Amino acid sequence: MSTGSSLGLGDVEIGDVWTRFMTYVVLTFLVMVNLVPFLFIISVSFTPPEAFFGDPSLVPANPTLEAWTKGFADLRDNLVNSAIIATGTAVISMAITIPGAYAFARKRFYGKKVGFYAIIVAMMFPYILLVIPVMDIWNSTGLYNTIPGMWIAYQIFVTPFAIWILRDFFQKLPQDLEEAAQVYGCTQFSAFVRVILPLAAPGIVAVGFLAFLTGWNDFLFSNLLTTGVGPVPAVPVLYGTIGGGSGERVYWGKLMAETLIIGAPPTVLYLFARNYLENAFAVK
Amino acid sequence: MSGNTSNTAPSSDSTDDPVRNRQRDSAGADESHVRVEQIRKTFNDGSVVACEDVNIDIDEGEFVVLVGPSGCGKTTTLRCIAGLEQPDDGRIVVDGDDVTDAKPKDRNLAFVFQSIALFPHMTVRRNIRFGLDMNTDLPDEEKDRRVEDVAETLGIDGMLDRKPKALSGGQQQRVSLGRAMVMEPDAFLLDEPFSALDANLRDQMRVEVKQIQRELNKPMVFVTHDQEEAMTLGDKIVVMDDGNVQQIGTPHEIYNDPTNLFVADFIGSPSPNLLDCTVVEDGGELRLRNAAFEVSVTDEQAAVLRERVGDRVVLGVRPEYLALNDAETNGAFTANVDVVEPLGDRDAVHLSADGQSLSAVTPQGRVGRRTDEVAVEMEIERAWLFETDGTRLV
Repeated sequence: MSTGSSLGLGDVEIGDVWTRFMTYVVLTFLVMVNLVPFLFIISVSFTPPEAFFGDPSLVPANPTLEAWTKGFADLRDNLVNSAIIATGTAVISMAITIPGAYAFARKRFYGKKVGFYAIIVAMMFPYILLVIPVMDIWNSTGLYNTIPGMWIAYQIFVTPFAIWILRDFFQKLPQDLEEAAQVYGCTQFSAFVRVILPLAAPGIVAVGFLAFLTGWNDFLFSNLLTTGVGPVPAVPVLYGTIGGGSGERVYWGKLMAETLIIGAPPTVLYLFARNYLENAFAVK
Repeated sequence: MSGNTSNTAPSSDSTDDPVRNRQRDSAGADESHVRVEQIRKTFNDGSVVACEDVNIDIDEGEFVVLVGPSGCGKTTTLRCIAGLEQPDDGRIVVDGDDVTDAKPKDRNLAFVFQSIALFPHMTVRRNIRFGLDMNTDLPDEEKDRRVEDVAETLGIDGMLDRKPKALSGGQQQRVSLGRAMVMEPDAFLLDEPFSALDANLRDQMRVEVKQIQRELNKPMVFVTHDQEEAMTLGDKIVVMDDGNVQQIGTPHEIYNDPTNLFVADFIGSPSPNLLDCTVVEDGGELRLRNAAFEVSVTDEQAAVLRERVGDRVVLGVRPEYLALNDAETNGAFTANVDVVEPLGDRDAVHLSADGQSLSAVTPQGRVGRRTDEVAVEMEIERAWLFETDGTRLV
């Protein structure tokens, strides 16, 4: 019996104790796997370069903000680019995929099934295969090295995923709700806005968040579709800090500080969107 | 009027008048409030016919029940009236206006869904107000007043600021009724509204809905697959099967005088006994011969059967018109007692005779639990005769 298990040891099965023990072992391991590297990142970002190459310790002896100020100075303009690119990517993908997914979920039209699977198949391609055609087309259309160019490029892999998720979301909402709205004074469109959109909010926020993350974190397209004179987002700058793979000396403190700076906005956003995200992916 | 078959329009004088059908009719006293004319609806590019030749007249203040087995087209018919389906053919007239092509919101009809379909992200108050907010320009105080009046009528006035999720099934369905009532619609359309509720609550809600309908004196069209629910609620019952209207009539007409074998079999519980018989002539007297028995027919029945000596017909008789007596007494025939099913003040007795199953309804305790055999007497004058294809003969 569960009541008073702390006292009535006689009621506790050895198997229960073992299960509980193993649960904590596994939990501790998983937390450590994530936490230890993170602690090192934080530690290194405050460690002066001399100490790092000399005698590093987890709590730096002479902590310095130098890496943070330098890192932030290097990243400032690029963070703005990242924000514009990621936000735009999210907004545009929402504008495309909310109506698109709704159509796939509710409307009947010719080629619906084939169209849907074609979109899903597009997701199966490794992005790197797309680099050459995309660069070619972007060059010839003037999208290369522009922010709209980045927005559109990310739609290539954001929209299929978003349509897939949102279509399922819309499908799961009872059709009766829209019909009820229509009986009680809505057009099809206002029923969608007043009833379907609010109910699909968890899915929409989740997909918008993932689109933002893609625009924020992507390296491949952001590195290839922009040049130093263009709207370079933050992530390629990080690559520059490692030395662009050139094998030159790496300022580890700055690298770690920049990593944390770049990681901060999505984290904050996640905290705001958390409730929605958990609803979106919870098994119902 | 007794039942109409599917192909003849209900005998309202307005339906055949082409002039009236074209334009807005004056709201005369004899005018039907909601009229369904020759509705036909198919799905999957015409391969599935959901309903066909459906004609229903619904008068002001009338409670009409569409009843039939699942897939008979009753819900499709209701959805056509509401505008949630577009009929392939036919017209829907509400209060003199042809609304066949109107959007659902422009028909001034309220629809109560089987699934209840409250908006889960809105409070009860906003759910009930929804239609007023969307479709009317009433001042806020008027809207609030109507919402509170309706909530009080339905006994949900204490729950206005809760979300639907926090309500029980019965309360939710009340909210859904309230959402319909505030609109003060021309007619209410209810699609099996109580099928999700448990039996006791269902009975209670039935009574309430009928009371509400009497008070509002608005037409109500109620869809159900439950013939008992149909009988208890309807002023007029429309029995449907296979996309067609089988019969329209009062509960008593439908029960006593079914137009065909389907209606006879569908209405009433336990189901009527439907027995295959052959018409035989015995010394000038017409009789019906069955594997288990032979009965002489009434004069009225004889008049129809005269031409049919040797034909097979189906004899239908309700269980309550079989009288059961001790096996020793004289009856039309004897039957074995299979099961006695107490129904309260009456018992349903399931019998078998020569490989046929029959049922009878007797006063409580008439047939003892240990009785094996009974003599069966049939009230032939209350029996119906059908062709083997189901058409009523007499």
